[in-house]
Parts: sequence; C-alpha cells; structure tokens
Amino acid sequence: MKPKTQTSLPGYTLTCRMAHEAAALERLCQVVRIRGFRITRMNLQSTDGQLDIALTLEGSRPIGMLQSQLEKLHSVAGVVLDEGASQTRSA
Amino acid sequence: MNGAQHILDAFHRHNIGTVFGYPGGCIMPLYDALVDDVGVDHVLCRHEQACALAADGYARASGKLGVCIATSGPGATNLITGVANAHRDSIPMLVITGQVASGMIGTDAFQETDVLGMTLGIVKHSYLVDDAEALPQIMEEAMALATSGRPGPVWIDIPKDILLTEVKALAPSQSSTPEPGTPDIAEALAMLREARRPLLYSGGGVSLANAEDRFRAFANASAMPGVATLKGIGNAGKHNPNDLGMLGMHGSRAANRAVEECDLLFIVGARLDDRATGKLDGFAPNARTIHIDTDAAEISKLRAADVALRGNLNGILAAFTRELERQPLTIDDWWSQCQTWRTTGGFQAADNEEPLAPITGPVFIRQLSRITADNTVIACDVGQHQMWVAQHYHFDHPRHHLTSGGLGTMGYGLPAAIGAQFSDPGTTVINVAGDGSFMMNAQELATIRRYRLPVKIIILDNQCLGMVRQQQELFYQNRESQIDLDDNPDFMAMARAFDIPSLHIERTDQIRRGIETILAYAGPMLLHVSISREENVWPIVKPGASNHEMMDEPKRTTAQKEHVA
Ligand SMILES: Cc1ncc(C[n+]2csc(CCOP(=O)(O)OP(=O)(O)O)c2C)c(N)n1
Repeated sequence: MKPKTQTSLPGYTLTCRMAHEAAALERLCQVVRIRGFRITRMNLQSTDGQLDIALTLEGSRPIGMLQSQLEKLHSVAGVVLDEGASQTRSA
Repeated sequence: MNGAQHILDAFHRHNIGTVFGYPGGCIMPLYDALVDDVGVDHVLCRHEQACALAADGYARASGKLGVCIATSGPGATNLITGVANAHRDSIPMLVITGQVASGMIGTDAFQETDVLGMTLGIVKHSYLVDDAEALPQIMEEAMALATSGRPGPVWIDIPKDILLTEVKALAPSQSSTPEPGTPDIAEALAMLREARRPLLYSGGGVSLANAEDRFRAFANASAMPGVATLKGIGNAGKHNPNDLGMLGMHGSRAANRAVEECDLLFIVGARLDDRATGKLDGFAPNARTIHIDTDAAEISKLRAADVALRGNLNGILAAFTRELERQPLTIDDWWSQCQTWRTTGGFQAADNEEPLAPITGPVFIRQLSRITADNTVIACDVGQHQMWVAQHYHFDHPRHHLTSGGLGTMGYGLPAAIGAQFSDPGTTVINVAGDGSFMMNAQELATIRRYRLPVKIIILDNQCLGMVRQQQELFYQNRESQIDLDDNPDFMAMARAFDIPSLHIERTDQIRRGIETILAYAGPMLLHVSISREENVWPIVKPGASNHEMMDEPKRTTAQKEHVA
C-alpha cells in the first residue's frame, strides 16, 4: 500500500510526560493514530522512570480532541500544546 | 504468599466473591491457589469470550467490578471481544491473564502472544507485571482505576514465574484516583431558564455514575421532556410521562422530532454516538447544548458544547435540582407539544388480537413487558430483537437492560445473563436472543446446567440474520447475501442436551402462556418463538442520514397482510 500523500494539513507540536512503563510509547502512538493524526517527528528522553516526548504531528481534526484523549491515559502525567510551533503548514 | 495467592487475597479484601474464568498452562498457579481458597467462587464458562461477557453482565447488573481470568495465548485472545465490549460501554472490569515466564517473553514460546500490545485500544489501562514486588500495588491500582471516573476494563498480564514468586503481604497503600469536584452551574442554569424548548438527553453515563436517583429527582424537578440513548433506557423509570423514548436510528418519531425542534439539549452522560445522532450536521439543528459528563474527552468531542460541565454527575444534578425546585421552568407549551408527539409518534405495534396470527417481534416484546415484574433483567443479543426490546419493553431501571451498545456484540446475551444471574440469584433474568446470536455462545448452556442457573432464554427465530436482511432489503435493493439460517439446528433438542426444558410457540394466542410457563418454572427454560422472516424494525434512519429522514413502515396492503399471515 502506498503511503497517503497529504498536502496541506495543520501541524502541531505537543510535549508529553508519561510513566516509562511497558508499552508506554505504543500506547501513546496508538492513540495518536486512531484519533486521526500522523507523527512527523518524535524526540524522547527517559529520566527517572519518566518519558518526556516531543511530538510533531499533522492531522485535520481538532488538536484539542487528541490532547484530551492523551491526558486521559493513566500513565500520562501531562500534555502541553506548543501554541507557537503549532500552525497550519503547507507540505 | 505467592503472587497467585496474593491475587485471591486482594479479591477477598475487595469483596469480590465471583470471578469468571478458564484455566490453562500459564495461569495454572492461580488455579492451584483456588483449590485452597474457599472465599472466591470461580465460575467456569465454556469459552473465554463468555467469561468476559459474563463478567460484563455481572458488572452491569450489579454496579460492581466484573472479573475474568484466562491463560496466555488463545485464552487471552478469546477474551478480546468481551473486553472490547466492556471498553466500548465503559463497564468496570478486571482482566487477569497468565503470560509465559518472564525469561521466555519475546522468544515465541508456546502460547505466547503480545497481549499488552494487542489490547492497547480496548482497555482503560493495562499492565505487564515484571516484578513480583509490584504486584500488590498494581492490583490495588487496577481495581481503583477500573471502577473510578469513567469506568472501564483494566488488564493485568502476569508471567507465570511471578504468579509463583513470594510477594510480601504488606498491606499496600490504598490507591485512589481523584474524582473531579462539582463545577459552577450558574451559566448553564441561566441558559436552561432562557430556553423555551429544552430537552433532556441522557445516556449510559447516568447509571455508570450510580446517579439514577439524582437523575430522576432532576428530571422531575425540571419536568423537561426527555429522550434516551440505547444505554440510557430506563433512566427515567417506567411510564414516566416526560419520557419520549429512545432517539436515533431506531428511535421513536417523537424522540427524534423533539431533538429536531428543541432549542436546548441538556446532555447527561451521553457521548453523541452516531447511532443516536444520525448525521451530525442535521442533529438538533436549532439547539444550544449543555453537556454534563465525567469524562472531559467526551465533552465537545463531536459537537462543541455551549456550556460544558465536567464532574461527578450526582453533585451536578443535585445542584440543578435544588435550583429548579426553588424556581421551576416554565415550558408548558413545549411540554404539551411533546405530549402530542408522544401520543402520535411513540413506538407502535398493532396489538394483533387475531389469535391465529403469526407472532411478530414487537407484539411479543410488548406482552413480555406486561407480564414480567419490574425488576426483571433482560439481557439482549444484537439485531432486530435487540431493537424491539429497546423500543417496546418498559424498563424501570437502566441496570435491568443489558445490551451491547457500543460494540454490538452478537453472542452477548447468554453469557451476560449468566453474569447477571450470579450477581443476584433471586432475580428473574431473561436472555432475549436472535437465532443467529444465540449460536454465537450457545456453549454456555453448559454453564447454565452446571450451576443450575434459572436463566430464561427466549429465541426470536426468524430463520435469518434479520437486521442484516433488513438493511439488504432497504439499502441494497433487496439483494440478500449470506443471511439465511433456515438450516438452524433444532433449538429444543439442543436445550434438551443440556437438561433444559423448552417450549415452542408460533401464534399470537400462545404468547402469554409461553411466557408464563417459562417464568413459573423454577429452573432454566428455553422458549423458542417462531416469527416472520420478513418483519422489519421501524422506524429506521439510513446509516449516515439525518434523523429527520427516518423511514416509517410502508403501509401494508391487505393482500400483503394475508400473504404474511
Ligand atoms: C459478532 C458479530 N458479528 C456480526 C455482527 C453483524 N450483525 C449485526 S446484527 C446481525 C444479525 C443478527 O441476527 P440474529 O441474532 O438472528 O438477530 P435478528 O436480527 O434476526 O433479530 C449481524 C450479523 C455483529 N453485530 N456481531
């Protein structure tokens, strides 16, 4: 299957702190995917049992919806949307 | 105490007296501990899917935590449908599976599956225990999590070696998840007072929050006309004059009309599911919305709320009730209008008095509703029969109506009825099944026999997958595809094989006696009801269409009627 080429989707930057448990990252990525976003960049760091993850995403749905779904995850301590870096971008 | 014994000990401390499970290799230490344990009743179902669905039925009917247990690999994968079912309907459930020994994980060992990975999307949370010392805390946390806030299934996957490792029997610190407080209702109250045509829209969240009493007090104080989702049926109580019934795809014309005309939707514990709203653009087009929910992620998920109130439903509804008792709403004209719609646009079933007429689903369910006691629990399967129950049975409480709402799982009804019967052995529990759905978990007749459960089973047998046939008829030019079940087994012979007596009826004049006979019988009994293959569920909204485009039953000509008879 060819990857979809999406032309002009809004882009967002989120940072997320979560417990470094089994499948933590998969859980995060699963929610991002099923709620309609694509990860275009990911940076993560593990310290003292915590994961700090910076995500650059694109998707056409409201980002607030994804944010509240991520905040609902038991292992997620917090999600911050970087308003400055989040904007509609053209690919 | 080893890990397995600790799990049973935690069940004791949390008053979990009944669990549903099926043994196997990696979960063997837990089953070994069960031999010595006298405080936990383990119910052996005959398929792990049924273990999970029975735990779901137990939890829905009682409001308590449902627990299911299985082994690794196929045991765990068989649980998945039942756990997904609980997840979609926010049912509090604890799932315990054995896993291959820690050192074997990732080696493609016998009966190894990546349970954690494959279940991420169907759990509220899950754990793979990698340290025996962590088990006590995980158990506490998991039970608290499954039952708090918006409930849901929590899955603990435990390697066999950890079940066998000694764990310190230290009393773990109680884990609690903070509940949100009661938000300020001033803005919502002002909006409600301003509205001329307010409508109460309630869902399954009411009973999930154990807020049935507060909800009824509020509904009475507001005297607002109300509509309910499939899972909200029963919220208003039986024969409540303000209740316009279920809305949505198979909702009443009255309910959908009221939604269309209202100027304010007061949403309590509902998530605007597409089966309820139809096409979102056309849903409640003239209304502002007040959305009350415990889950922040549901508010404004599909439609932006004008006022969002996130918190404990009990506290919020009590705050509104106080205000409305002090100063009631003045909505007399709107109330009268809704009453007119209720009279002319409720669920209709021609109560066919013709004794030799064939039985139709609606006529049968209406009689069932009249004959059974108010506290009867009805566990449905999925299909036309499920919708006839939703439309024509008058429920006095949402916990009396066990139905697979979000996932729509055929085969739900029989195991759910088993779970409900375990939660209250004295209650009458009836599984209303379709002939297709019944066959999906028919092996559970063995569970009914083993535990001598007095579950009543009613099969509305239309010799086909009726709901699919109906949609093929209406939306696929009647091109029937793979829906024929005219080679069904002899259901009465099947029941007999499990020592369950049965009765067959096919004419309207046999309905009352059939229902009364199964209710009067002290043990389990099956009522096989032959119904017409061609009967449809009306009204219906085409999937993807707006609710105002709902289709009614085309008037049958006399010739057609005679043909059906
Ligand atoms: C496990 C599962 N498989 C398939 C479906 C799709 N489905 C929905 S209703 C239905 C037909 C149900 O037939 P039956 O149980 O006989 O009930 P009826 O509609 O005839 O009342 C089917 C196949 C489903 N909901 N669940």
